[in-house]
Amino acid sequence: MAHDLAQNTVDGLMTGSAYAMLALGFTLIFGVMRRLNLSYGPSIMIGAYLGTLVHLQFGMGAAVVALVTVLGAVAAGFYVERLCFAPMRGQAATASMVASFAIWMQLEELATLLLPRHSYPFPALIARPPFEIAGILIRADRLLTLGAAIAAMLALWLLVHRSRFGLALRATARDRATARHLGIDVDRIGLIAFLGASALGGLAGMLVIAADQQITPMFGMWATFKGLVAMMLGGLGSIPGAVIGGLLLGVVEAHGQWFFGPQLRDLLVYALLFLCLVLRAGIGAGVPSAERRI
Amino acid sequence: MLALDGIAKHFGGIRAVDDLALTVAKGEILGLIGPNGSGKSTTVNLICGLYPVTAGRITLDGRDITDLPTHRRLSEGIARTFQNIRLFGGLTVWQNLWVAQNAPAHRKERGYLARWLGGSKQAREETGRLLDFAGLAHRKDELAANLAFGEQRRLELARALATRPSLLLLDEPAAGMNAEEIAALDERIRELKRQGYTIVLIEHHMELVMAVSDRVCVLNFGRKIAEGTAAEVQADPAVRQAYLGTA
Repeated sequence: MAHDLAQNTVDGLMTGSAYAMLALGFTLIFGVMRRLNLSYGPSIMIGAYLGTLVHLQFGMGAAVVALVTVLGAVAAGFYVERLCFAPMRGQAATASMVASFAIWMQLEELATLLLPRHSYPFPALIARPPFEIAGILIRADRLLTLGAAIAAMLALWLLVHRSRFGLALRATARDRATARHLGIDVDRIGLIAFLGASALGGLAGMLVIAADQQITPMFGMWATFKGLVAMMLGGLGSIPGAVIGGLLLGVVEAHGQWFFGPQLRDLLVYALLFLCLVLRAGIGAGVPSAERRI
Repeated sequence: MLALDGIAKHFGGIRAVDDLALTVAKGEILGLIGPNGSGKSTTVNLICGLYPVTAGRITLDGRDITDLPTHRRLSEGIARTFQNIRLFGGLTVWQNLWVAQNAPAHRKERGYLARWLGGSKQAREETGRLLDFAGLAHRKDELAANLAFGEQRRLELARALATRPSLLLLDEPAAGMNAEEIAALDERIRELKRQGYTIVLIEHHMELVMAVSDRVCVLNFGRKIAEGTAAEVQADPAVRQAYLGTA
């Protein structure tokens, strides 16, 4: 029992680190622009499809495929920003959200037109058997995900809190009009945040897909969903909140899966989310909402 | 230096500013006064590009800036303070100054990466000078929200200077200040003039405006009703009527 708990927790933290990265991407967009990008997951999926295409057509190895996936996700993110966010900056937040839902459908169609079968293979980054530390089984590719997540979080934290650009980002998140009066191009800041979020999501998505070694068009919805739930668990718009929300989601899922099976696992997650919403007690809830910004 | 040529701003049927012509010479302090709702703040907002003009042209050093967005006018050297203070309360005093060093004037300098990370000597010295000017050196790590009212006003002025402007728009900098603070502000504005800044001062506090302004312009109902030295304006019957109701 104790061993199961430990194994589940370790597994959960590793999966959760990918969720945390997805949530960080969402948070970056939400924190700076107060906008929700539903096409976030689907644009990652497009990146992965381009990666798979390169793999199938030209027999490229894992490293090139990984790079193409991340760059593809950024390109798709750029497309979404130009179409759904840039033209509606001064308008209601729901306008961009609904537009990004429409683009979600478009991107899914694009993926099935590109590669019509339900699923395609995706090359593994590390092909070696799991190893054991203190009786706990560890998969090398999951460990890589955890390492990448830690590196990405540190880099993001340094960028936001220790650089002049990060300060401009925080100023924009707090008061766009005043930031503009200080010579900050807030639209450019928004675009950079958006592309950064896409790169972060692309990295997370690529690591998850490489561990699964297959890609389906459903990945878009999956990524949007996991990132959104993790961000909400962490209390919208805070960087530490997104990390803790992602890890919590991973751990709860791992235990739920082991003790109650896959159907009750998701139910457990939704029950937790429901509680958070009802009690307004996300992990970030200790922070007053006005200050809950990047 | 700054020239407004027949600018107008209509909000629906309300003519907030109507056919206003105004010039500010380099190194000059222009006082802009008028009763409440006379269009002073709207004029400042038009100069900053907060919203587009209904008609007219704005030029700075001969270049047309009428259609430039707000953040681009900064690269043209305009900076402002706000009537109701707008600092980033959740950031510290020095971060409020540092964030203003994103302005284009700072972007082309050497040691860009170091500046970007806040480590360059130049950036620290510049911030230090501004802190001294605002008398806030001892509070540099305090959150802006925790500063006293007068300190916040001083920080906002320092933040405007951090963008390296040549033209400063001060929107009611004396509002809410006591006599002692106003005397210090008077001295600070004179110091800025000595350093070569051009200043447009919007203010209700007549003593301050009349004391520091080289020229005073009076607005009423969005139109200019008088312009001249402090003494000339004070003697003008149209000004007396605008302020007192009847002549």
